Amino acid sequence: MARKKKKSEETQNIEDIQEEKSSLVDFEEDFEDDLDIEEELELLDTEDLSVLGEDKAVVVDKDEEKKNLFLSCGIHIGTKLLTGDARKFIYRQTNYGLYVIDLTETETRLKIAANLLSKFVDEGSDKVIVSSVRRYGKEPVKKFCEALGCKAITTRFIPGSLTNPNIETYIRDASVVVIVDPHADKVILNEAQLARVPVVSLFDTDDSLKGIDLAIPANNRGKKALGLAFWLLAKEISIQLGKISSENDFPYTLEDFTSKIVPLYNKQQSRR
Amino acid sequence: MSIKRNICSCCGRPITPYEPAIHFPCPNCGDVTIWRCEACRERGKSYRCLKCEFVGP
Repeated sequence: MARKKKKSEETQNIEDIQEEKSSLVDFEEDFEDDLDIEEELELLDTEDLSVLGEDKAVVVDKDEEKKNLFLSCGIHIGTKLLTGDARKFIYRQTNYGLYVIDLTETETRLKIAANLLSKFVDEGSDKVIVSSVRRYGKEPVKKFCEALGCKAITTRFIPGSLTNPNIETYIRDASVVVIVDPHADKVILNEAQLARVPVVSLFDTDDSLKGIDLAIPANNRGKKALGLAFWLLAKEISIQLGKISSENDFPYTLEDFTSKIVPLYNKQQSRR
Repeated sequence: MSIKRNICSCCGRPITPYEPAIHFPCPNCGDVTIWRCEACRERGKSYRCLKCEFVGP
C-alpha cells in the first residue's frame, strides 16, 4: 500500500512538472510575440525619429539650455529653514542642510504668473505695482517696470498709499501687487490685504503663504536669481501681450536685469 | 428679488457684502473668477479652480 501511494505521488509530481513546463513554454511564446510587436513599434519609432530628428534635437538643446541657465543663476537654492507652506515646492535637501526648490514648479508657476499679470498690464497706468525692499531686487524691478510700463516701488513704501485717498502718494487704480519677499515687503502686503488687491510673490523656503494669492517658488535672495526671475516673467508677459513674436526678440538681456551692486565681502577682499 | 452671493473658493462659505474678500481670474485658465474670503487669505488656505483644477496659491 505504501509503495502504491509513493508511486501515485511520484506520477502526480511528474504531471505537475510537465504542466509547469508547458505553462512556461506558453509564457515564453507570449513573450516572444510581445517582443515582435515591440520590435515593430521600435522600427516605427525609429522611422519617425529619422523624420523629426532635427526638431527633437533642437528641443532637447533648448530644454538643457534653460536648465543650465536656472542652475547657473541658483534660482533653485533655498534656505536651511522650511515652512509647511513651502513643503510642496521642495525637491530635496542637500548634505549641508539647504533645501532645493523644484525647478519644474518654478517654471510652471512663472508661466502661470505671467498669464495672470498679462491681463492687468497696461502701459502708463498704475494697475500693476511691483515692489522690492531688498537691495538686489531694486534693479530687476526697475527694468521690469521699464519693459512693461508698470509702477515700481523701490524706495520706502509710504503707509496708506493703497488705503488712504487723502495722501499724495495714493495709488487709485491698483489691480495687482507683485512683491519680492513677503517678510521684507510686509507693509505693502498688509495694505494690499486691506485694499482688496491680489498679491503675487516670489516664495522662498522660509516664507509663509499668509496674504499671498499666487506664489512663485524661487530663490529671492541672490541677485542673479532675482534677475532671472524678473527677466523670464517680463519676457513671458511681453510674448502673451503680443509685443514680441518669439523669445529671441526680447530687447533686454539677463545682464540688464541683474543688480550691479558688489557684495561687501567682495569689496573687502579686493582692498586687501 | 434674489441676491447672488459669491462663494469662497477655499472654504465654500458665502461671502458677506462688506467683507474684505478679493476676487481675481484663475491664474491658469482665466475663465473662472476665484473668490477668497478674509479668513482664508489670512491663513494662506489653498484654493482650487473649478474648471482647470489649478491649486493655489
